[in-house]
Amino acid sequence: MQAEQMSAAAASDVALPIALAGISKSFAGIRVVNDVSFDMRPGEVHALMGENGAGKSTLIKIMAGLHQPDSGEIMVSGKAVRFASPREAHAAGIATVHQELLLFPELTVAENIFIGQTPKTALGAIDWTAMRRRARQLLDELDSGDLDIDQKVIHLSVGNRQRIEIARALAQDARVLIMDEPTAALAEHDVQRLMSIVRSLRKRGVAIVYVSHRMPEIFALADRVTVLRDGHLVGTRPVPEVDEPALVSMMVGRSIDRLYPAKQGKDGDVMLELAGVCHRGAVRDISFQLRRGEILGLAGLVGSGRTETALTIFGVTPATAGRILIDGKPVTIASPGQARDLGIAYVPEDRAHQGLIRPQTIEDNIALANLGRLTRGFFVDAAKVAAEARGAIARFGIRARGPGQPVRQLSGGNQQKVVLAKWLATNPRILIMDEPTRGIDVGAKAEIHQLMRKLAGEGMAILMISSELPEVLGMSDRVLVMNGGRIAGEFDKAHATAEAVGTVMTRSYARERAA
Amino acid sequence: MTGAQPKLLRHETVLAALTMIAMAVLASLSDKFFTADNLLNQGRLMAEVGLISLAMTFVIVTGGIDLSVGSILGLTAILLGVFWKNLGLPLPAAIVLATVCGTFAGFVNGLIITRFGVPPLIATLATLALYRGLAEGISEARSVRGYPEWFFFFGQGEVLGVPFQLWVLGLATAAAAVILGLTPFGRATYAIGANEVAARFSGIRVNAVKLWIYTASGFCAALAAVIFVSRVTTTRSDMGTGLELDAITAVVLGGTSIFGGRGTIIGTALGLVLIQALKNGLALSGVKGDGAIVVIGLVLIGAILVGALFDRNRGG
Ligand SMILES: Nc1ncnc2c1ncn2[C@@H]1O[C@H](COP(=O)(O)OP(=O)(O)OP(=O)(O)O)[C@@H](O)[C@H]1O
Ligand SMILES: [Mg+2]
Repeated sequence: MQAEQMSAAAASDVALPIALAGISKSFAGIRVVNDVSFDMRPGEVHALMGENGAGKSTLIKIMAGLHQPDSGEIMVSGKAVRFASPREAHAAGIATVHQELLLFPELTVAENIFIGQTPKTALGAIDWTAMRRRARQLLDELDSGDLDIDQKVIHLSVGNRQRIEIARALAQDARVLIMDEPTAALAEHDVQRLMSIVRSLRKRGVAIVYVSHRMPEIFALADRVTVLRDGHLVGTRPVPEVDEPALVSMMVGRSIDRLYPAKQGKDGDVMLELAGVCHRGAVRDISFQLRRGEILGLAGLVGSGRTETALTIFGVTPATAGRILIDGKPVTIASPGQARDLGIAYVPEDRAHQGLIRPQTIEDNIALANLGRLTRGFFVDAAKVAAEARGAIARFGIRARGPGQPVRQLSGGNQQKVVLAKWLATNPRILIMDEPTRGIDVGAKAEIHQLMRKLAGEGMAILMISSELPEVLGMSDRVLVMNGGRIAGEFDKAHATAEAVGTVMTRSYARERAA
Repeated sequence: MTGAQPKLLRHETVLAALTMIAMAVLASLSDKFFTADNLLNQGRLMAEVGLISLAMTFVIVTGGIDLSVGSILGLTAILLGVFWKNLGLPLPAAIVLATVCGTFAGFVNGLIITRFGVPPLIATLATLALYRGLAEGISEARSVRGYPEWFFFFGQGEVLGVPFQLWVLGLATAAAAVILGLTPFGRATYAIGANEVAARFSGIRVNAVKLWIYTASGFCAALAAVIFVSRVTTTRSDMGTGLELDAITAVVLGGTSIFGGRGTIIGTALGLVLIQALKNGLALSGVKGDGAIVVIGLVLIGAILVGALFDRNRGG
């Protein structure tokens, strides 16, 4: 019924930059988008929300020309169109920043921004000067003047890569800009930067589709919100007319306990200790203790050395100085394999490159970190592997056809759950989680937080890195603030307030830049 | 099994059908083709490139390539002759020692690739020249002949009416299929080829696995060298020239992705049989050598196109 109203409205209003009417799409016979209508007005920020696997990304890919709808109509400025390819969608003024970063790691920042749309000289050769100048200008507009446009993208952090994706979309002079979870990878500070960019684009009349699982952003930014559930349209509402509980119940069909779970039991002995650990210039003289049953939060801006510290503990970039002790005994960790055998698990920040083998199935991915346990004699025990994966799918509520589905076909949030499942299956004693709830919907997020508490209650030691300040403050028993590769402050639960932690994060940041 | 398995099985089904059709056509073109004698003899000729292709499948599944196998074969062959004739070692000792040297040559490839991070294409292109140069330097353009009669068993003998080296190839194929398909080592091989970073982050010892694979590639080339020398009864320094391309052709025809992460031993075995059947059958029906190469090239392109088609249909 809602759908009918919307399509009627779309048909009557010719000026709409894009309007979808009755769109459906199936994969392998399963409908993932079902009769959805959706429209954009010039100069509005339109939030698209829903649980993991609700069909948001699929709907976006249809608008971006990556998928063709099975039925329904796409209207651009009142004219019905069919996009056979992303190129045609670009030409119609629709630019997209996808959820999974699609950059070319071996090309430079400037080349990535202009791939497929390189400025040409009169002779038809690539105009490098123009390209570099435009790239510089676009990044400056994005308040990212600190990025080196000649650097290869492979060396950049997720946060920086995300900004390049946005610059690339802007380079197309889009009338509709679609952003699929653009802030999932960004720290609080960068989120603010992005939001001001979005606001200025809105002023220029660009229509922005904005997908996010973070409620505060929606209320700060969006004019209207559309909610999908199981591929169906639940409804479109002006943001001032809804509140958070209303949105949540539209998304999940029930209300959710959004309080952070309370600590159970007491901390035990020190399980992991770092003493003066360094790795080149990225990790400088890090010392801390992590106890059984404790959740230690690591706060800081993107690039402050949190991930680098985790990688050093996990043996990806082994320590160049200092000592790491487990249960009070010094250990050498020179590879992730060694770290895993010592009972350390690391859920990485970049699931597409570090966390998953995307062409492989759910069961293969979960098995990969657990081959020792899933092997009988010389052979991988296929039955055990499948059973393990089925268990994980049930435990984490992963939305999939079965253990044999390739992970790249899963929605972003469900891929994240597979990474979590893979590492929890190793039965770690020390769990390092780098952005554990990135891209995870409200309901599942609360479940993961409860799970973390339960694991800690059972004696696991957890080190959590998160760029979401409320999450760090809500979950951690203790918070370490990192900056410029060092620990710049430590707060216990009672003193860890947003102001106190935020100040340390940014104050030292300013000093670092000045130095 | 691995994610791409259903698709690969389909590729293999197509390949098996293609092989069958080719056999039928060739049999109708020449009545000598489909005789036990001819087929067994073709199996004999296939063994050397076959052994090399097995290891090459692992190499390519990791996303690598080994161009030096032909040169390792030549080097091993020369060393075998020199150890025996010039140094006066007993022949069995010379065989073992030469095989060890060939294996070591593969190990050196692995070291260059894993320790110094040289791309496999470049590393093995360099050792292709290096090992061949060594072989020529050591042999000084002389060939070695006059091996004792018992030595010819490896390349010319039969067990239960089947050529000896065909037994070796059969056993090696079974072993390789089991290792790649069913063991943790095989899983690691696929994972490295599909996403090396994620494999490392999963605790896979990426460098160790690669080192083993390149060493095994050297070992297979050395084994092929012994069989080759025994079959042709002499040793020359240009033995095995261009063999790497035959092996790579068989592997790619068998459905292994040159980008890594996908492929099976069964595919490689089918690719091998198809190529050998085409070479032999076309020769028997009077097509000149160049004609056979053209046909093989066309079949390869066809197979790759079919593979790409499957890729597209799979979506994602
Ligand atoms: N290529 C594909 N083949 C098969 N199924 C697919 C494919 N792409 C998406 N799906 C399925 O469609 C459903 C919707 O996925 P989609 O990515 O649109 O979800 P989403 O709402 O963006 O979720 P998230 O918040 O986790 O990003 C999922 O169940 C997913 O498994
Ligand atoms: Mg999505």
